[in-house]
Amino acid sequence: MYALEINNVSKSYGTFNALNDISFNVEKGDFFGLLGVNGAGKTSLISSIAGINSFNGTIKVMGHDVINDVVKAKYNLGVVPQELAFDPFLTVYQTLKFQSGLYGITNNKDWIDEVVERVYLKDKINSNTRSLSGGMKRRLMVAQALVHKPPLIILDEPTAGVDVEIRKSLWEFITELHNKGHTILLTTHYLEEVEKLCNKIIMIDKGNIIAKSTKAELISQSSTLPTTVQIETSNGEFSPELEGRVILREGNVFTLKLDNSDQLLPILNLLKLADVKINDIKINHPSLEDIFINYLHR
Amino acid sequence: MQPFIQLTKKEIYRFMSIWMQTIIGPVTTAILYQLIFGAQLSKLPTGIAGVSYATYLIPGLIMMQVLLNSFGNGSSSLIQSKYTGNIIFVLMAPISPFLIYCAYLVSSIVRGIIVGFAVFVGIYWFGGCVPKSISSLLFFLIFGSSIAAGMGLIAGIISDKFDQLSGFQSFIIVPLIYLAGIFFNPTSFSGFWQHVAYLNPFLYIIDGFRYGFIAHSSANIEFGVIFVFCLAIVINYIGYMLIKKGIKIKH
Ligand SMILES: Nc1ncnc2c1ncn2[C@@H]1O[C@H](COP(=O)(O)OP(=O)(O)OP(=O)(O)O)[C@@H](O)[C@H]1O
Ligand SMILES: [Mg+2]
Repeated sequence: MYALEINNVSKSYGTFNALNDISFNVEKGDFFGLLGVNGAGKTSLISSIAGINSFNGTIKVMGHDVINDVVKAKYNLGVVPQELAFDPFLTVYQTLKFQSGLYGITNNKDWIDEVVERVYLKDKINSNTRSLSGGMKRRLMVAQALVHKPPLIILDEPTAGVDVEIRKSLWEFITELHNKGHTILLTTHYLEEVEKLCNKIIMIDKGNIIAKSTKAELISQSSTLPTTVQIETSNGEFSPELEGRVILREGNVFTLKLDNSDQLLPILNLLKLADVKINDIKINHPSLEDIFINYLHR
Repeated sequence: MQPFIQLTKKEIYRFMSIWMQTIIGPVTTAILYQLIFGAQLSKLPTGIAGVSYATYLIPGLIMMQVLLNSFGNGSSSLIQSKYTGNIIFVLMAPISPFLIYCAYLVSSIVRGIIVGFAVFVGIYWFGGCVPKSISSLLFFLIFGSSIAAGMGLIAGIISDKFDQLSGFQSFIIVPLIYLAGIFFNPTSFSGFWQHVAYLNPFLYIIDGFRYGFIAHSSANIEFGVIFVFCLAIVINYIGYMLIKKGIKIKH
């Protein structure tokens, strides 16, 4: 059984198709990254999973169909929606207590306290939600998604507007939950986060899947992408045949553009022929961002 | 059942946390009406033997505030949740559309009843109005407020903006309630206008509720019971279908 099964899901708003026949599975224990530019369809997909959008196709959460077996599906799911939302009549603690109540849980004070501490809202626990800053509201939404300890946690840009330090701690918390067996599906525009956290990645664009793979596979493809290499020579001499490749020279450091990493060896050979002494070489591997952009332009 | 109870409790907490506006405000208004009309028009004949104008006015004013507040609660709670976006947490939770609707409905009825009781305490001693038929009083209280609450919920669902909602309230609900025989016995109207008055659905609610106090009604009381019961079912069925279909809530 998969943690999440998406089968032939399409979603249209009027005549506009936001998702075109999307299918993929998220295995239990995955830390899954859902990538795509603004308007790619990520939130549309998440809203369909969460039962706040109508859609065509089938979606199952922990084996439960989100339409026909909706209550069980919802118990297994915790979503942090992208849009900031809060109940202005409640405090942080009341919000989480009420949220728990919506899942039929009334005796989870310890867990609420722990979650509040982990999202750094302890000193705000009795503050009205109206008085929270944007980043704090976002963190409260993360806490809300976790009150019922859902096996599948979906985070739609949970760190948007959250400061660097707390973002890091937030990911530590999410990673801990992942290690405890929770399956995570994440969207974010901070690709370093995905690179660090996710073991599988899916990229969508204009409602279509453009890439679906493990992170290791994606990274291994990166050798076929354009990259740069920085070569530091001992005295500033360089091979004349390679001048055309130099895109930057700073003192004795030459930066060269390569179409892929296979071109490195011939270059080193040319330098050897020209008797150039090399002090240091630094290869800049393509980042997930480069890979992502490469996919978008295919 | 727990999610339903929690949502209902939260909604009741919502209006109780602003009790000055939601409870005391309506009581004050009712006392003012009672003072101004009840005292000034005390000589006005009610057309009912042994019932003074002040006494006639009391049940009407109570029901007026019950209806206005049940309507107001349903509409404002929903539109606020839509506006601040927090309705999403309810929609994502394992609670059926039916129970979501019931929670909003019950909390709105509860507000109507609390306001009604508070208004009763505030004004009954102006006219010494003692309930004669508790059963019809309770029936019209609960079903009447469920009609207004359901209308409020429908208005809250279909309005996109607060001004649409207040238009609905100011131009439809308030005039209908004010003209529903609160201040005047509709039998005192002449021919044509009397017929018009009896087309107002709120008239049967207020008339029936007053019957609970003075054991006298200007419309047929059996008809009132059936009509109010059916209207409550129809209105709330429509409201439930709107929530179920996710009109203006889901995309
Ligand atoms: N309620 C709606 N009505 C009409 N069109 C919509 C609606 N919601 C989204 N869309 C459209 O569907 C497309 C996908 O939107 P979606 O919110 O899923 O994108 P996204 O991948 O989450 O983008 P972002 O990174 O900006 O959050 C966009 O073109 C958007 O304009
Ligand atoms: Mg989005």
